Amino acid sequence: MGGFEIIVEGFTRALQILFSGDQEILGITLLSLRVSLTATLLGAAFGIPLGFWVARKDFHGKSVVTAVINTLMGLPPVVVGLVVYLFLSSSGPLGFLRLLYTPEAMIIAQMILTFPIICGITISSILSLSPKLKDTLASLSAPHLWEARVLLNESKLGLITAIIAAFGAAISEVGAIMMVGGNLLGYTRALTTAIMLYTNMGEFATAIALGIILLLIAFSVNLFLTYLQMRSRVRRTT
Amino acid sequence: MSSLKNNKIFVIIVIAVVVVAAVLAIYYQPLAPQRLIIATTTSTVDTGLLDYLRPCFDIKFNANMTWLYLGTGQALEVASRGDADVLLVHDRVREDAFVSSGNGTLRTTVMYNDFVIIGPPSDTANARGTNATEAMIRIAQAGASGSATFVSRGDGSGTNALEERLWERTGVTANGTWYVSAGSGMAPTIRVANEKGGYAISDRGSFYKLISTMNASLSLVIICENDSSLLNPYGIILLNSTKYPNIKPDLATDFLLFMVSTQGQSLIDNYTVNGKQLFFPVYGHPETIGLPSENATVTYLNSLLKSRGLE
Repeated sequence: MGGFEIIVEGFTRALQILFSGDQEILGITLLSLRVSLTATLLGAAFGIPLGFWVARKDFHGKSVVTAVINTLMGLPPVVVGLVVYLFLSSSGPLGFLRLLYTPEAMIIAQMILTFPIICGITISSILSLSPKLKDTLASLSAPHLWEARVLLNESKLGLITAIIAAFGAAISEVGAIMMVGGNLLGYTRALTTAIMLYTNMGEFATAIALGIILLLIAFSVNLFLTYLQMRSRVRRTT
Repeated sequence: MSSLKNNKIFVIIVIAVVVVAAVLAIYYQPLAPQRLIIATTTSTVDTGLLDYLRPCFDIKFNANMTWLYLGTGQALEVASRGDADVLLVHDRVREDAFVSSGNGTLRTTVMYNDFVIIGPPSDTANARGTNATEAMIRIAQAGASGSATFVSRGDGSGTNALEERLWERTGVTANGTWYVSAGSGMAPTIRVANEKGGYAISDRGSFYKLISTMNASLSLVIICENDSSLLNPYGIILLNSTKYPNIKPDLATDFLLFMVSTQGQSLIDNYTVNGKQLFFPVYGHPETIGLPSENATVTYLNSLLKSRGLE
């Protein structure tokens, strides 16, 4: 079978799976969503405040910290997976938590990937705000929380971009969740690790079908986020 | 007035019942079956054997059988860290070392198949019709003269270990541009060999399974087979639960007993892909395929089988 036929067969298989409501694939899809969305939200919960703090505060070595965060944006997932595995392993320092090969371990690993992405983009989007705005806020001697609200609101476009980028990185990575999740059937098998397994087994059409489902999910999540982004832009310009 | 009040009470009761039912439905967790984690080699997964055995084991022992898809080297490493419940692997030398170092408590041979040397139909190294050692020598010679490629697993797996033993026997140092180390599982390695029109060593099961899924796009054929040095026995190892308190030793023993029971052995015997048998049960009589006898272990396991009514 040539490459093109396999891709076409993959498309038909994807449609079949989508309409047949295959329980196993549905479970795999829901797990992928649950893990990557949680990891993105947690990454944002830590990344946005830290990014804001780094961007607003003047301190020694600020550029070094920013450079470190920007470097961590390119962390190889498989290295994160290996390090998290060694920590969570039964004979590792956190082995007593018994988290290895659970969805929670997968969330932890992906959070380590999403956190620097969100933090780094937050820093750059706050730094790129007009200095006039900061001067105005300073001259008003606005309370800190109020100032933060205004600045974060003004950089909303950038923050949503950060979340889109982090979710994209999380839902599409395979190295980290393979190591710490173990790709256990019906428990920690996610879309990307399933795609890898089917590819290894030579079942290319099923692998392509899962790839299409992955793209559809990423598309719907991004559609929603982009809608938020557009709305905030419209509001700012009017 | 009073009927209105009654109505209200009725509505409140209904709402309360619905809320309680909903909360129960959300939080009620049926007694989840225990999850067994088998650290195993790519071949038992790629061939579909574990997928085929899972439902039988799960029903019989109210368990949830899962596995980590690794090479034998990585499987032994993961198990030695206490991250799996039981091992199903195929590298006798390292299996014995694993048990004798105190990581495992018991090992027994459950089934076997064999390795085959596969290569392009044109057999550019002219290795067909010879024994395994001679075939490897010819591949290396053809490789050195630029007319053949050999693709190694290169991942420390059981198949990789067998390949290294074969090279040792030939006295050839396998390196050079003709020797490619794929660093991946069996099926991906076969696919690399397929793309390069090269030679590789595969367990028969993985090769047959890949033929059945890839059909005509897999052009490699068997060049050398049926050689005693290509025998591929699979063993199950129980881990030392004193050393690894987090594992599930009872469920692991259930798995071992299931695999060696009459039912398990006949399930293995009956597993076919495209009409071809991929694994041959051999529990209890490894000497028939030229392996050392395991009498003491077999006697012990048979008595366990009997006492558990699993014979």
